[in-house]
Parts: sequence; C-alpha cells; structure tokens
Amino acid sequence: MTAGPYRRVVIELFRHPKNRGPLHDASASAEGANPLCGDRIRVELGGDRSRVTDARFTADACALCIASASLLTERVRGMSAEDALRIDTSWLFASLEGEPPASRRKCAVLPLDTLRRAVAALPSA
Amino acid sequence: MANKYGLIDPADPAFRDESEVALATLVSATAGSSKKIGAKMIVGRSGRIIGGVTIGGCVDAQVVEAADALFDKDDADRRLLSISLDDDEAWEIGLTCGGTLEVLLTRVDLGSTDDPTVAAHREAMELLSAGEATAIVTPIESSGGSYAVAAAELEGAEPAERTFVDRISPPLTLVIVGAGQIAMSLTRMARELEMRTVIVDGRDRYATRQRFPEADDVLVGMPSEIVAAIDANRRTAVLLLAHDYKYELPVLRDILRKPVGYIGMLGSKKRGVAMRDLLRDEGFTDDELARVHTPIGLDLGGKAPAEVALSILSEIVAVYSGKRA
Repeated sequence: MTAGPYRRVVIELFRHPKNRGPLHDASASAEGANPLCGDRIRVELGGDRSRVTDARFTADACALCIASASLLTERVRGMSAEDALRIDTSWLFASLEGEPPASRRKCAVLPLDTLRRAVAALPSA
Repeated sequence: MANKYGLIDPADPAFRDESEVALATLVSATAGSSKKIGAKMIVGRSGRIIGGVTIGGCVDAQVVEAADALFDKDDADRRLLSISLDDDEAWEIGLTCGGTLEVLLTRVDLGSTDDPTVAAHREAMELLSAGEATAIVTPIESSGGSYAVAAAELEGAEPAERTFVDRISPPLTLVIVGAGQIAMSLTRMARELEMRTVIVDGRDRYATRQRFPEADDVLVGMPSEIVAAIDANRRTAVLLLAHDYKYELPVLRDILRKPVGYIGMLGSKKRGVAMRDLLRDEGFTDDELARVHTPIGLDLGGKAPAEVALSILSEIVAVYSGKRA
C-alpha cells in the first residue's frame, strides 16, 4: 500500500466505517467474495430503481475493501439506479485519494461489483 | 463397544457375540488417581477388555479378576471393590502412588432392554446427542438400578443414600476459523481426542471436504456470521487460525461477549497487542480482551503445522482441565 493520503483515508474508514451492519427490510442485496484472499461482503439497499433510500454493508474483509464499501454506500444513497450504475473506479480511486497497487485492486473493486449487482436487483418504482 | 463417552451401546456390532459384560467405574480415590473419577472399563464374559479405570498397572488386572468372579455368581449383580495402592515392595522402592481406589462393578445384561444400566446409558446418550450435560446416578450400597438425568436436574439435590453421580459432558466443539495447514493437522488430532471440529472460512477452495475429511462440519461463508450462528457455550472453543485480521476482528467482536470456554488467535505477541488495542478502542474491556490466548498454544518450540496444532490442542486440554495455560 502506498503512503500518503490514500493510506490515511483507508485506515480511517477501516477504523470508523460508515454504514456497516445489516439493513433490515432491505429491498435488494448482493453478496461478493474474492475467492483466494477471502474478502466477503454483502451490500443491502433500500428503496427502488427511482431512488436508493438506504445502503449498508456487512463484511469480513480487509481495510481497503471496507473503506471502499464505506465510500460507496455513502455515495449511492439518494441516487437512481441508473446513476448508481455509473459509479466507476475513477470515482472510487479519487475518493480513496489514490489508486491501490495492482495486487490490491480487487479488494477495492469487490464492493463496487457487489453494489452494482445489488442495484440491478432493486425493484421497479 | 463403548462409545466415546465410555457408555455401553448394545447395538454396536462389536457386542454381537457378547451376552453379558461387567461395567467397572472408578467412583472414588483417596490419593491422586491417574484417571478421572468416572473412568470406565468394560469386561466381557467372553474375556474382552475395553477401556480402563487406571492408566495401567495392577489395578485394572484386579478389576478384571473381580469381574470374572462376578459372572460366576448367580445372586450378585453389583460389587464395590476397594483397592489399595500401597503395595509393600513398590512402596519400599518409591514406585507406588499410595492411597485407595473404589471401583464399582455392575453386571450388565446386553440382551435385555430393561437392564437398568443399558437403559440409563441409552438415555444418557440421547441427552448428550442433544448437546446436554448428563448424569448417571447409581446407588452404591443398595440394589437400586442406575438412571440418567440431565445434569442440571441434580442441582442442589441431596441423595438419601450413598450414590455415585457420573457427570458426563458433551464433547468439546472446536470452531476453527481459517482452513489452512494448521487447521488440517489439528482436525486430525482432535478426532483422536474425541473433540468435534467445525471448519469455517470464506474461501471455498480452502474449506473443502477433500482437505478436511475428519471435520464434523465444513462451512463456507462470512466467518463472523457463521460463528455468530453457532450455539456457543462453555464446551465451545474458538480458534482463529486464518492469521488475517479480516476474519479475526469480526469474529472476536461476536465471541468476546459469549460464554465460550476458550478463544485462541494465531499470531505474535505484537499482533495480539495491536488486535487488543483496536478492540479496546471499540469499547471492549481488558477483562474481555484477556480471554484471547495469543500467541495461541503452549510454547513447545515447534513450527511445523502439526507441531503448532499439537501446541494448540495441548493448551485447550490444559484450559479445560483447569490448569493454567
């Protein structure tokens, strides 16, 4: 992991993540895993395709994965499904204040992939 | 054959040619016994010997002789043996333990479902299978038969006569988080120790039946959720062997406030301090954090997976035997 702002952001969000824990009465959810390193995450959403009203995650995962999940669940709240699906790695890495090294990229991207699948599962308005 | 609790199951094929056995149970010891009170030996009328009331020596031989004699009496179905360990010559050269043991011998008719010992053992096994601690109560000085009850039912009970209460706990369950090489060795060894093992990991290429044929359960998913769903009690030991904080921290957040009997975490002292610091910041108390044995295992010096597994099991045996580990 590179030094500097990226590292500080990741550690801060790992120690004090936002939206960690289950979302009761979720209207959509998805699970993802990195099969070899063992990161596991579940993203749960409230609302429908017109508007995501709530977003939370549960994870047994590394600091980078949890930081990414924290940022993404904050970001997606209030968005339509269409806008949510436009969130990409550029936004994610900018929010992390740095791009993860290639070997850790999958840790950051796992919550994004999982979020996209949860969004795709949202019910119609 | 006696099962893992030392109880008699007449349906076991090993008893096919056995109509009658004598059950010997160690019921008291005035000096340090090499086995726990409740240790059992089964002597078959055919001559077979299963188990032992001591770890060896002359006592078991005397019990076998007494059992053989019991079979020859038509009017006796029970006998209390009092066996002195003060052999004169052995005492002289310092090679005796000293003291007296009492061993209760009970004749058991394997062909009768009404035999009180058979019935008591069957009821005890049903309770143990349900995960409940049980007790087999046997009058020592009267002819009344044995019976089994849930151990909790005996709290505060005052028997009217001298009885032997044989308390039997369900086997230890080792919940092993992290399906690596140490876990593989440990699962094999735990079977020999008659412990249940549950393998937990988030990686389905690691937590496989192929790698863990001896495990009682192999569970893949989010480890903290799997562990949280396990009905944990004092007979549950949780072993964090993933050497990865992504599993250790979420699992610890759950189990530190549960009544499990043992928590161990693989890793250096430095890692243990860092883990405690993180959890202390989240509100866990020093008493709660002190429950975690880390570095896990007794310091036997070995580094190979099997050696580390041995050190972990040694610590677990010590903790559950009331020894400081």
